[in-house]
Amino acid sequence: MTATLDDLGAAPLRPARRPRAWWQAPWVDVVQFLLLAGALFWLAWRGANAIDYRWQWSRVPAFFYREIDGEIIWGPLIWGLQVTLYIAAWGLVLTLAIGLVVAILRLSDSLSGRILSRVYLETIRNTPLLVQVSIFYFVLQPILGINNPLWTGILCLAFFEGAFASEIMRAGINAVPRGQWEASQTVGLSRAGAYRYIVLPQALPLMLPPLTGILVNLIKHSAILSFVAVFELTTEARNLIGDTFMSFEIWFVVGAMYLVITMTLSAGVSWLERRVAAKR
Amino acid sequence: MDSSDMTAGKPIITMRQVDKWFGDYHALRGIDLTVSQGERVVICGPSGSGKSTLIRCINRLELHETGEIVVNGELMDDTPGKGRDIGMVFQQFNLFPHLTVLQNCTLGPIKARGVPRAEAEATAMAFLEKVRIPEQAAKFPSQLSGGQQQRVAIARALCLSPKIMLFDEPTSALDPEMIKEVLDVMIDLAGSGMTMICVTHEMGFARTVADTMIFMDQGAIVETGPPEVFFTAARNPRTQLFLSQILSH
Amino acid sequence: MTPGTKRARFHWLDLVVLTTVIGFVVYVFYRVDSVLVYRWDWSVIPGYLFRWDEETESYAANLLVRGLITTIRISFWALILASVLGVLLGVARTSSRLLPRLIAWGYVEFIRNIPPVPFLFLFYFFISSQIIPLLGLRDAVESAGPNGQAVLAVLFGPANLIENFASGLISLAMMSAAYIAEIVRAGIQSIPRGQYEAGHSVGLSSREILRQIVLPQAIQRVVPPLAGQFITLIKDSSLVALISIQELSFLAMEIAISEQRFFEVWLTVGLMYFVVCYACAIAFGWLERRMGRHLR
Repeated sequence: MTATLDDLGAAPLRPARRPRAWWQAPWVDVVQFLLLAGALFWLAWRGANAIDYRWQWSRVPAFFYREIDGEIIWGPLIWGLQVTLYIAAWGLVLTLAIGLVVAILRLSDSLSGRILSRVYLETIRNTPLLVQVSIFYFVLQPILGINNPLWTGILCLAFFEGAFASEIMRAGINAVPRGQWEASQTVGLSRAGAYRYIVLPQALPLMLPPLTGILVNLIKHSAILSFVAVFELTTEARNLIGDTFMSFEIWFVVGAMYLVITMTLSAGVSWLERRVAAKR
Repeated sequence: MDSSDMTAGKPIITMRQVDKWFGDYHALRGIDLTVSQGERVVICGPSGSGKSTLIRCINRLELHETGEIVVNGELMDDTPGKGRDIGMVFQQFNLFPHLTVLQNCTLGPIKARGVPRAEAEATAMAFLEKVRIPEQAAKFPSQLSGGQQQRVAIARALCLSPKIMLFDEPTSALDPEMIKEVLDVMIDLAGSGMTMICVTHEMGFARTVADTMIFMDQGAIVETGPPEVFFTAARNPRTQLFLSQILSH
Repeated sequence: MTPGTKRARFHWLDLVVLTTVIGFVVYVFYRVDSVLVYRWDWSVIPGYLFRWDEETESYAANLLVRGLITTIRISFWALILASVLGVLLGVARTSSRLLPRLIAWGYVEFIRNIPPVPFLFLFYFFISSQIIPLLGLRDAVESAGPNGQAVLAVLFGPANLIENFASGLISLAMMSAAYIAEIVRAGIQSIPRGQYEAGHSVGLSSREILRQIVLPQAIQRVVPPLAGQFITLIKDSSLVALISIQELSFLAMEIAISEQRFFEVWLTVGLMYFVVCYACAIAFGWLERRMGRHLR
């Protein structure tokens, strides 16, 4: 039955929101999530014990560093990490250079330039990185006479990521509206001038966050170089496991090391993205 | 109003002291409103005045913070699932692009009400007839003009036999030549005794069908009255200014 | 003036590009011929692609082609498994409850931030020792009668390798699911809010809105990137060579070492991957242009 307005006018207001039960609060979900994660770890631990795995966590710190006579000797994991970061840093420089050249060729009016960049992109895109590494290491390295597997690896990764970098750069330039090109022409700028004063200043902020993302990918993909005996983090881990048979401890530790680095970098990228978005 | 309807005149929507915030933004301020069964209400006001928020609170697309909304004897709080029996027509049509016109109209009855398919399709065809596009039933929304899409949206809402129909600026997204075909359908509907609340700037339409005009500004109801008084003798200066701006052309 | 829109014509850049390419090719030939004095021997390759079967008196696929078939098989099943898992995770990521969001977030971030190689090693260890024995695949295949075994051999490869195949497949699917989850999440989030509101206004519950309105549209948008994921899977499946799954890359390594023909084997294998992936890319592109035109 419906009340009339006069009845309602006198009645006290009923609440618009129902009181929430305590189990609907967000912290309950967080606790459930942590319990679940804990259960997963417990299962993994029990699984390891079921195959009579002998945990030797106490030996792990020595893989990072040892102190001998008050002197710190860095362990294999630190060496490996250093090589991984070295690969990522130089890889990034080369990737940007390759990406820039390919992007310029793709956007140029030159027919052979467009064909070359297309062939490069399709080759990189349609073959596995592992096969590219193999071809760089077993075929190109002897042919070109590079006598350092580390640099073969860096070169290979740079060629691989360069394809993505060139796509990011091209997309950034294409994201600048057509009208900007037309306007630069009407104020008398040449094509180079239009790039320099009008287009790139607008395109660069768009490219920056995804290009930083390439650094994360370089770190992730550098692990593949363990396949050709470049002594980066994963290789060091595999060698340690070969020596000590501590597979679980070492993979957990190495996984956590990668996780920390890439998540920190990813957080940096999304911070950059937000800043760029806020400025626009 | 249809005087032969015995229930006419009873309040079907009552809002008392309704307040709504979006974060810090005070979107509705102390709204008091009663709508009777069969009443046709037209709400107008400048953009950002809270018109859409008001009707979206009625069918629970938005939840209000304080105050009381009672629709058809039912208290509207934040229980999920309330307000689903109120028909709504959106500015952007919001037809389902992956379904045909007929499927758009039968989805609700079949999935929400459990109506058998054949029956739902017969009802849908009857309403498509009423909005004058039965021949488009097998097409997809993207194949129709804006006016036709909005008429499908009206038919879709009617298929659930709602007691109340809400219109949120139904003609604002339409090309000028299509506005009339949609308004004609709405005028037909008004003649059938449906309770309607329309947010619109079509003042000709408002004069024709409205029982009550409401002017909103900055989240509050500034002026209420029958159209004869509202258009000629508005008391509030803000209403007068608004009317002079939209009626001067 | 907009770059890349004009018709290509001869340009000073052409001179630079052609000189560089020709110079590079000449240098490579010079190095191979005169410095390395390498003798190409492509004759070993055809024998690894196909062999003459004495019993049936016909040509049969040999190691490399069999490896390629395993690669395609593993990618296909991994795509199916990963799609199911990925859709569930993608839906969970957009849930209104915090718990499913947290679980899906944890999974996706975990997979995406650990490089595939350490993940595979860690995971393979776990799967092959814990999960595979639980599944009892060997017994299942052996109990499947001769006809059933023939069908299973077509679908999953030889029976003696089924456990090896399954562990590679599961590892690959677990990785791919995280990426598919992100694709699905983006698909769901691309559905405008008005669609949810319209669903509410025609009386549907949140569940029905997801099932009848959001997922059908999201999946239509997600199909092209999902097809692309198949190509990614074919490429990523080469990684399971590192955990001794006998697909194309693994067999390539073995043959290259046993024959000491690194140039020929790796160039052939690279070409085989390229042909398959490029053909898929062209086919998917063509399908995408043909499908779902009425939705815009």
